[in-house]
Amino acid sequence: MKPKDMLEYVLLSFRADRRRALMSSLGIIIGVISIVALLSVGQGLYGGVTERFSDFDMDLITVRPGSGMGMGPGERPASTPEEPAEFDDRDVKIVENVLGVEAAYPLKTSRALLSYRGDNTSATVVGLSPENHDDLKEAVARGRFLTGSDYKAAVVSHEIAEEYFRMDISPGNQIRLYSDDEDRYMDFKVVGVLEEDEDPTYASNAGIYITHRAMEEFLDAGDYHYDSITVRAEDSAEVEDLAEKIEKELSRIHRNEAYNVEAMTTRFESMLEVLSMIKYALAGIGGISLVVGAIGISNVMMLTVRERTSEIGVMKAIGATAWDVRTLYLLDAGMLGLVSSVVGIVLGVLVSDLVGMVANIPQEVTVQSVALGLVFGVLITTVAGIYPANRAAVLDPIVALRGE
Amino acid sequence: MPLVEVAELEKSYRVGEMDVPVLRGINLQIEEGEFVALMGPSGCGKSTLMNILGGLDRPSRGRALLKGQDLGRLSDGDLARIRRDEIGFVFQSFNLIGRISNLRNVELPMTLKELPREERRDRAEELLEAVGLGHRLNYSPTNLSGGERQRVAIARALANDPSLILADEPTGNLDQKSRREIIEIMNELNRDGRTIVMVTHDIETTEYCSRVIWMIDGRVQEEPS
Repeated sequence: MKPKDMLEYVLLSFRADRRRALMSSLGIIIGVISIVALLSVGQGLYGGVTERFSDFDMDLITVRPGSGMGMGPGERPASTPEEPAEFDDRDVKIVENVLGVEAAYPLKTSRALLSYRGDNTSATVVGLSPENHDDLKEAVARGRFLTGSDYKAAVVSHEIAEEYFRMDISPGNQIRLYSDDEDRYMDFKVVGVLEEDEDPTYASNAGIYITHRAMEEFLDAGDYHYDSITVRAEDSAEVEDLAEKIEKELSRIHRNEAYNVEAMTTRFESMLEVLSMIKYALAGIGGISLVVGAIGISNVMMLTVRERTSEIGVMKAIGATAWDVRTLYLLDAGMLGLVSSVVGIVLGVLVSDLVGMVANIPQEVTVQSVALGLVFGVLITTVAGIYPANRAAVLDPIVALRGE
Repeated sequence: MPLVEVAELEKSYRVGEMDVPVLRGINLQIEEGEFVALMGPSGCGKSTLMNILGGLDRPSRGRALLKGQDLGRLSDGDLARIRRDEIGFVFQSFNLIGRISNLRNVELPMTLKELPREERRDRAEELLEAVGLGHRLNYSPTNLSGGERQRVAIARALANDPSLILADEPTGNLDQKSRREIIEIMNELNRDGRTIVMVTHDIETTEYCSRVIWMIDGRVQEEPS
């Protein structure tokens, strides 16, 4: 039997038995939808994160006190339990003097309760040295950025200024910050508001920026230590070497203390790795539903072969070979797979658009996810058809005809 | 050379530990152009003999030759080709495919033979017209009466111009009027020179047969000419 005639016969069968075609394709359609949609969402997450790590952040190195448990890349191995390192201005100087370092910004971060005209919200307070932060300076939308001589002055993020309170915060307004235990507070005058979406990786959306001097007084702790020192390298191509150099310099005075020096590129890479894993894990979940769908197809085809036993007997009696019958039923499965995969891909694209819109998750339909959906859909369905097709091919025509 | 030559043909089926003989040494010759009726009680082996002659089953011992070819020695693929090109089956229960039209049912043996589409279609139309169903080409067989269905089945049996038509109780499921129609058609085919072997229970249907072969208990009983 010619392939073209087989195809025609299969399509005629679909038309004559739409219910069967629909029932068996449903599982595959759902499987392909989940593969395409989950891959798209995974790809979107991946792309979204890649985009946020804009180029200028790739020359950053972060120095942090460590837990001493030996976690993460770049952290010194912990042979004995170590105390976390405590960084102060001496360390900033050391880091600044390492060859290849353009600038070092010490940061101190704390949670605080922000009060404005009687409303409260929790916020992240970042203490910094204003002269180092040209990137934030450029991001000021209204007012001005902090200067070294500011004391009780604050710059707030766009979200804090416009989304957290009934009344927007503008330069000139007074805000009050309560420390964590809420028995101390400090009043600040807002001098500037940042642009929307301007959030360097070391800050947060809900950030309030003040000087180290103000931070020290606000926290009222005996020793004032930095949470991190962010280092900008002169050459972004050499950040990893530079990170090693900085670590060596610091080890002179923090011999038995835990800290880690991590280039942003390293963190970026391990993050991409995790995201890539998430993406394929999502696709794997889609794959499982596809396999379940394929088992459904296999079942429906087994039923079909049983239902059409006498038809298969007739086909053989009038001259169909085992090869003809096998190919016919494999083609049946393959066509079901193809049609359902195409339907599944179209619906999958729609679903990922919808999910992206409703849940506000970035999503991105790629050629890769569409191709994966198509190939797996057709392949798995055809494989699911092998067993039923063989059963049909080896049917004894006499038994099949008697079975009426 | 006779069209069909059967010599010392035996067939037994294995049921559990036992071999149950169904055909116990059949000798038989059928010449081209004959219209032979095969009669006998149920279980006498008529259908088994038909299946072996049609290449659906294989002899246990002995030979069954069609046009000089030993059917027992052919491969499965060659047997399928014999069924396709040399044999036309007509069944008691019609065995048409309900999901496709009458035209396509008749075309199917030619489709399996990979004949060109035009040729298939023309011949199928011609055959359906010849059995008086030219106006039912695109109907499904499920919309036809029993007699009409059997006429479609006969048209299908003729599709590849076979040398032997094997009809297994072709009138068994039909009413009196349809039975008559089918017998007349079979007679016409025979007059056109076709060789027919027909299993039947009904002596009335044998009026045009050139020969009646009686079978009892796996043996040919007598052959009154």
